[in-house]
Amino acid sequence: MTFTRREFNRGVLTLAGLGAMGLGSRALAARTDELNILCWEGYNTDDVLGPFREAHAGATVRAESGTSDPDMVNKLRAGEIKVWDLINLNQPWARARLYPEGLIKPLEKERFMPYFEKMAQGFANPPYPLAFADNGDLIGMPQRYGPFSFVVNTDKISREMAEDQGWKLFLDPAMKDRYGILTYDNWNIIHMCLTGDQNPFAPLEGDGLETFRATAGQIFGGAKLLSDDLVAMNTALINGEIDAYFTGGTYTASPARLDGLTNIRGITPKSGPLDGKGGVVWIELTSAVNNPDPSPLAEDFLEFVQAPEICKAVGFAEGTYNPVAQMGNPEVFALWDEEELDAIQWDSLEEEMARSVQYDVVTSYDELYTIYNAAKRA
Amino acid sequence: MDRLNARLGYLTALPITALLLLSFVAPLVVVAAFSIMPQKVFSLAHLPDFSAYGEILRQGYWRSLIWSLGMAIAATAILFVISWPLAFAMAKVYRRFTLVLTVGVVMTLFVSENIRLFGWVLTLMKGGLIEGYLRSWGFAGFDGLLYNVPVIVFGLVYVYFPFMLFPLAQGIAMVPDDAREAAVDLGASRWQLLREVELPLAAPGIVIGCLLCFVLSAGAIAESKLLGGQAVIVMGDEVETAFTYGQNWPLGAALAMVLIAIIGAVALFSVSRVDLDAMFGGRK
Repeated sequence: MTFTRREFNRGVLTLAGLGAMGLGSRALAARTDELNILCWEGYNTDDVLGPFREAHAGATVRAESGTSDPDMVNKLRAGEIKVWDLINLNQPWARARLYPEGLIKPLEKERFMPYFEKMAQGFANPPYPLAFADNGDLIGMPQRYGPFSFVVNTDKISREMAEDQGWKLFLDPAMKDRYGILTYDNWNIIHMCLTGDQNPFAPLEGDGLETFRATAGQIFGGAKLLSDDLVAMNTALINGEIDAYFTGGTYTASPARLDGLTNIRGITPKSGPLDGKGGVVWIELTSAVNNPDPSPLAEDFLEFVQAPEICKAVGFAEGTYNPVAQMGNPEVFALWDEEELDAIQWDSLEEEMARSVQYDVVTSYDELYTIYNAAKRA
Repeated sequence: MDRLNARLGYLTALPITALLLLSFVAPLVVVAAFSIMPQKVFSLAHLPDFSAYGEILRQGYWRSLIWSLGMAIAATAILFVISWPLAFAMAKVYRRFTLVLTVGVVMTLFVSENIRLFGWVLTLMKGGLIEGYLRSWGFAGFDGLLYNVPVIVFGLVYVYFPFMLFPLAQGIAMVPDDAREAAVDLGASRWQLLREVELPLAAPGIVIGCLLCFVLSAGAIAESKLLGGQAVIVMGDEVETAFTYGQNWPLGAALAMVLIAIIGAVALFSVSRVDLDAMFGGRK
């Protein structure tokens, strides 16, 4: 049998046509029973989505986990605003990028403000200020949070010593080749500023940039390994290849701690250059995407995740474990057992939060990022 | 009549050409267009400038480029040397065992690359399979075998092994046994046989295998991240961070274009030197 080019082309075109018809029918489908969520891991688990699907039988609920905040922002910028209904990422990205660019839209205050009242200290009375745009619009609901500075193996470096020394620990010549860097680039930049006694959230120029260059060079020069994978970093810490890692906190240490390795501990420095504070805390916001064909289920889901069992499922999803703002409600708090509280370092959470400032937009990010990248490459 | 035939040939090729242009060339055009946009913009509606390319020169990105290309060349050379004997055996010596070997090698591809590499992390790390066992048997412990350049090259060799082995075996299968026997009968030494008969006749397979391995290795990220602890920053990593943390799409696009241009030139040059139709069973 011979197969001519014409027959081959006909086959290809038929397949392409069928494919296009499939896409078209999807595009024409109504979105009243569809919800697409772009989120950090946790909101995409069956423990969270399962009950929502049961409550909305017939609805197609999909959630995709992102790999970084900027990666998720890129998706919306690249046109996926038509795909997603909700986006969950750290608040500076929502406030500084998504909202000003019209990629997310404000939430109904009457519907969501009451939920702030039951939240933990710092989120209630007054409601968490960074959940609002400068014009007062409510741009997202907070849930997971955690202090994020660095992590040590307390069998090698005591918690007290690490907290006292703070960021200077990584400039100590004795620490050369004893630590790794978890390359969450935007966080590394904040932490390198703090190590050099600089305020990352204020503009830096001239001498300030030179100080940052020196700090970045020193930190990268002394690091034994770099990785953007928290599992790889915890593994190196557990097997003794490193004694600490630069950039990390409850979010990264909690999986090892829940496995019983409580010598892996997130550390918040006792002091630092930000009005005496040296730690930084991240807080996620879940916002409604400014989808031209919005799904009514988006805001229903935002309300749904305020229920105690769902708060627990979000805070204790597979992968990483984190406190949630709703733990201020005794009904929610009662769902955590002692081991789980120890995994999220509940014993020191309040004091760590008190020693931390809010993760914010790094004012001179572009200049610092260029210097940071050059130091990393060298 | 000949002219009509030629024109009909082009016409019948038109639909598939359009499809290929749309699916392969259009994304590349978008990347190329972004690479000449002013830095830090997110749309193509700007006057072009070449500042992103200038940034590549100013900020020392050539270092990452050299590491990526250097490690890709090293991995390809090592792969060629270790795959040749096995590919030869598969094509000429083993009979039914070739199938077993093929299934064995292909099965590794069923498992995600990251998981396979993480398996090596657990093997090579301090307290891992190698160092842990040696220490428990009374040998002095050492610091693990990870986080350096040789282990990244090892990772590339491990991951891209099938991409060298199968084209090479296919290439060697094309060397007629008669030609080898004739050469030996005429007094060729083993070295002459390899250099003057086997290598030239198996060239299409060698070129395809080397190209696949080189192209994939030059753009690889996971080996450097997981095994190498980013002992060096590779080009793929630079592209990824420019698009994500850097929020500088034109810079990421320009970095990608540099890599595409180099790899494209190498690929076109190599492919033009061999008769691929012979390998794919086309015209002789």
